[in-house]
Amino acid sequence: MTEFRQKVFTEDDMQAQVKEWLEQGKVDVFLAYKMIQGHPLPYCFTRNDLDEVNELIPGPIRYPLEKIATKIAARYPDVKIGLLVRDCNQRALNVLYVWNQLNPENVETISVNCCPSKLKEHADCSYLEPKKAGPYKKQVGVDNNMDLEDMDAYGRQERFNRWMYEFKKCIKCYGCRDICPVCFCKECSLEHDDLIGTGDLPPEVPIFHLVRAVHMAGRCIDCGLCEDACPVDIPLRLLYKKVNEIVMDVFEYETGTSPSQNPFSVLGDTVTLKPKPISEAA
Amino acid sequence: MDCKIVPSVCSYCGTGCGVLFQVLDGKLMGTMPMKTHPVNEGKLCIKGWNLHEHVNSFMRLKQPLVKTFGRFIKTGWDEAIQLTADRFRGIIEKYGPDSIGVLVSAKITNEENYLGQKFSRAVIGTNNVDHCARL
Repeated sequence: MTEFRQKVFTEDDMQAQVKEWLEQGKVDVFLAYKMIQGHPLPYCFTRNDLDEVNELIPGPIRYPLEKIATKIAARYPDVKIGLLVRDCNQRALNVLYVWNQLNPENVETISVNCCPSKLKEHADCSYLEPKKAGPYKKQVGVDNNMDLEDMDAYGRQERFNRWMYEFKKCIKCYGCRDICPVCFCKECSLEHDDLIGTGDLPPEVPIFHLVRAVHMAGRCIDCGLCEDACPVDIPLRLLYKKVNEIVMDVFEYETGTSPSQNPFSVLGDTVTLKPKPISEAA
Repeated sequence: MDCKIVPSVCSYCGTGCGVLFQVLDGKLMGTMPMKTHPVNEGKLCIKGWNLHEHVNSFMRLKQPLVKTFGRFIKTGWDEAIQLTADRFRGIIEKYGPDSIGVLVSAKITNEENYLGQKFSRAVIGTNNVDHCARL
C-alpha cells in the first residue's frame, strides 16, 4: 500500500479540483476512492461534506466507477457526475456514450495513471501483471497471458478442446456480466430461459460463454475486470479480444476509442460485407 | 440524491466474503465484491452477486407468520415470541427438554451462534445443538 502512496503525486491537485467542481456546481456527485476501514473503496463525494474530499485517493484499486455512474444516471438523468478515469474507464465511458447510457454533457472526468505494464511502469492500478498459468493449465487449457496469434496457431480441434477445458470450470456466478462496465441491458440473454438453461448447473458450455462473447462484439473495451472477477480464472479477455478483432477486421470499428463512433451507422455504411476473417479461419 | 457505497460481509454462508452495496436513496441497487478483502479477493459466487435481490425481493418475509387452522396469518413479534415460548414450555413440561433440538446456521454471525447454543443449554436445558455446516 505504501508503495502506491509514494507514486501518487497529484493527489492534492485532484482534491482541489474536485472541491472546486463541487462548489461551483459543475458536478453534483464525484465518484472516486477513499480509505474505509483500511480498504480503498469507491466513494461518492458530494457537496454536503466538502471536507471529505481531503480523503480522496486515486487508487490503488480499480472498480467499475462508470457502472455506478450509469446506475445513478438511470435514476437521475440530469445529475452531473464526475469520476476518476483511467484509460480503461475512458474507453468504457465512450462505449456508454455511443450506446446512450450516459450523456457526455453530464459527465466530467479527471484522468489518473493507468494500469502498470511493461509499457507504463508508473501506474497505480490493481491490474498488475496477471497470474502465471500453472503447468497443467498450460498443457490442456488456455494461458491467460497468451496473445491471439499464439492461440490461432493451434489447430481447430485443439483450440476447441482447450477452450472447453476452460469453460467447463465455470460455476455460473454471472460475475463477468455483473462487473462489466459495458453490460447495461435490462434483459440479458444469459437470463433468458429459452436461450440458456437458467438455474441449471453445470452451465451449458460452450454456449453460455459464446453468447456472452458475441454480445461483447463492439462493446468490450478490454478492461479485464471480468477476468479479475472470475473465480475459476477463465481467460475471458482473450476470448473477447478475438471477437473484437473480427469486429475491427470486418467493420473497421475500434471499440471504445471515440465517443462519437456510432455502432448503428457501421452496417452497410462504410463496409462491403466480405466475410474476411471467416473464410480465412483454419 | 443520496449515493453510498457500503462495505459489508456476505450473509449467505459462513465463508464471510467482503461485499460492497451500492445504495441509492436508501435502496440497494447492486452488489460488488470487495477487491481488497482477504477472503474473496474480488470474487463472489452467484448468491453473493445477488444479495440486493434478496433484500429487495417482494417474496421476502418482513414479519412473523403464525400457522392458524392450516393458514399462515401475519402477526407481531411480541405475539409470535410469546406463542413460541408458550409452546416450548408446554413441550418441555410434557416430554422433557431433550425433546427439543436447536439448529443454528452458517448464515448468522458467530455471536448469534453462541447465543443459540447458550439458549438451548441454559434456557431450554438440552445439549441438542447442531449446525448445518457440521459435515
